[in-house]
Amino acid sequence: MLSLKHIRKSFDREEVLRDVSLQVRHGEVVSILGPSGSGKTTLLRCLDFLERADGGELTLDDLHVDLAHAKRRDVLAMRRRTAFVFQNYNLFANKTARENVMEGLVTARGVSPDEARKKAEEALAWVGLLDKAGEYPSRLSGGQQQRIGIARAVVLDPEVIFLDEPTSALDPELVGEVLNVIREVARRGIAMIIVTHEMAFAREVSHHVVFMEGGRVIEEGPPEQIFSQPREERTRTFLKRYLTDSNMYYI
Amino acid sequence: MAFHLDYFLASLVSGLAYLPRTLLLVSLPLALGLLGGLVLAAFRVYRVPVLGRLTALGVSIYQGVPIVVALVIYNLLFMSLFNDVAAFFGVATTVAEVDIIWVGIFALALQEVTLMEESFRGAFYSVPAGQREAALACGLTELQALRRIIVPQLVPVAVPMLMNHVVGNIKNSSVVIAIGVAEVLTGASIPAARTYSFLESYVAAGLIYWALATAAEQLIGQWEIRPEARQSSWFWQVCARVRRRRTVTVAQQEKRGQVHAELEAYQKIL
Ligand SMILES: Nc1ncnc2c1ncn2[C@@H]1O[C@H](COP(=O)(O)OP(=O)(O)OP(=O)(O)O)[C@@H](O)[C@H]1O
Ligand SMILES: [Mg+2]
Repeated sequence: MLSLKHIRKSFDREEVLRDVSLQVRHGEVVSILGPSGSGKTTLLRCLDFLERADGGELTLDDLHVDLAHAKRRDVLAMRRRTAFVFQNYNLFANKTARENVMEGLVTARGVSPDEARKKAEEALAWVGLLDKAGEYPSRLSGGQQQRIGIARAVVLDPEVIFLDEPTSALDPELVGEVLNVIREVARRGIAMIIVTHEMAFAREVSHHVVFMEGGRVIEEGPPEQIFSQPREERTRTFLKRYLTDSNMYYI
Repeated sequence: MAFHLDYFLASLVSGLAYLPRTLLLVSLPLALGLLGGLVLAAFRVYRVPVLGRLTALGVSIYQGVPIVVALVIYNLLFMSLFNDVAAFFGVATTVAEVDIIWVGIFALALQEVTLMEESFRGAFYSVPAGQREAALACGLTELQALRRIIVPQLVPVAVPMLMNHVVGNIKNSSVVIAIGVAEVLTGASIPAARTYSFLESYVAAGLIYWALATAAEQLIGQWEIRPEARQSSWFWQVCARVRRRRTVTVAQQEKRGQVHAELEAYQKIL
């Protein structure tokens, strides 16, 4: 469904992505693991054109885009068929929870305000926050904000959602509620690419795991294989460090 | 030196008669400055090709020129070129028929645009980049993101700075007397031509400017209140009440129309 080929990106001579290719099938959850600075965030940002790649191709079903030279129309088309969940939520500070979820529907998709409101409230109820519909983000906890961030993504009915470390800005006791919502998204059959350091969660929820380092895909495969029998030495070193750091949240 | 209360009052009345002109000299440049300043700031922040550079250059040049000098230059250009330009466009008006206040408004507006551009640019940078990115990721265009997400957030940041502009503008509007535009200060001095009560005249003018500045300050301060805290402000309570009354009357009218229609239907049956 979604296929990425030969993505390259440099920041001032520093090569951050060196020929990254990746496949995501319908309804599939792909997790990306890797040490800090390996280019995970940059990869997701290139897919949504928040960063301009230097090269690479992207195919989303019938939409075929050259990442480096895409025109406005293709950029908009890609953004309107996908959604993004940010590490620090990025809820619109000038809008209530309900308005945050409605914004993309009304302004980008041209849905009528009444229908958008109905859909937004359904989405908020679905993440368990209908009672906070009228609150501004500044008055919500990180976990609540991120759940609204996910509702804002899901309500757009995207073909794939990109999530960049959706829980890493949260206090440990709030991680669980957000992971539960992401599980629900997976259950709905919406494809996702998740960058995460939650190893146990990645193992449980993903169909496919990708390990990146130094801007390259080092190893990929089904979660059982990556976590139990990694082939590459670098994957093994990375996982060993994470697993001994007691970074395991079983929820 | 004696202070004559009756001369002072005469000056006050005479000055107040010119208040509409001062209000025009303040409000029109303000409105143009807000709009132009915001647009020019956006040119620079978004690094729009050509226009961004041009703005930066224009603003830096303009800020080095004292307003009085600019005023006199515009006035000279206006005086010497207006008739020719009017003739070129086939307009019958001559320079003597045009109120010179428009030259004053033009000069003040340009000055205001350059000052506001600076304020708005600062305010732009105070909105986190993530807000724009989230809007784009939701499928909004760059312009939609600007209008619906970024501008509403930079307004509360820009307001304190803008408030200083407005108050400064009210006070500075009197510089236009340099090219002979009549406004509050001119009006307040009229009685002095007869009575030589200059002190009274200027105190009266000062009082009018001060009252105007204070009122403006109070009003603008209300926009600084964030949406979630507006319930506790008298200004927003009044606004909300007016809005509520309007919706109530609409509902009442609809109901009245409905009753009317029902009555008509009954009358037909009977
Ligand atoms: N806007 C930028 N300008 C310059 N360099 C950047 C920029 N964004 C990222 N980089 C560099 O690109 C490299 C990859 O960054 P990226 O954020 O993609 O890594 P990551 O895998 O997401 O790391 P982390 O796990 O810490 O989030 C880093 O070396 C970073 O310094
Ligand atoms: Mg990252």
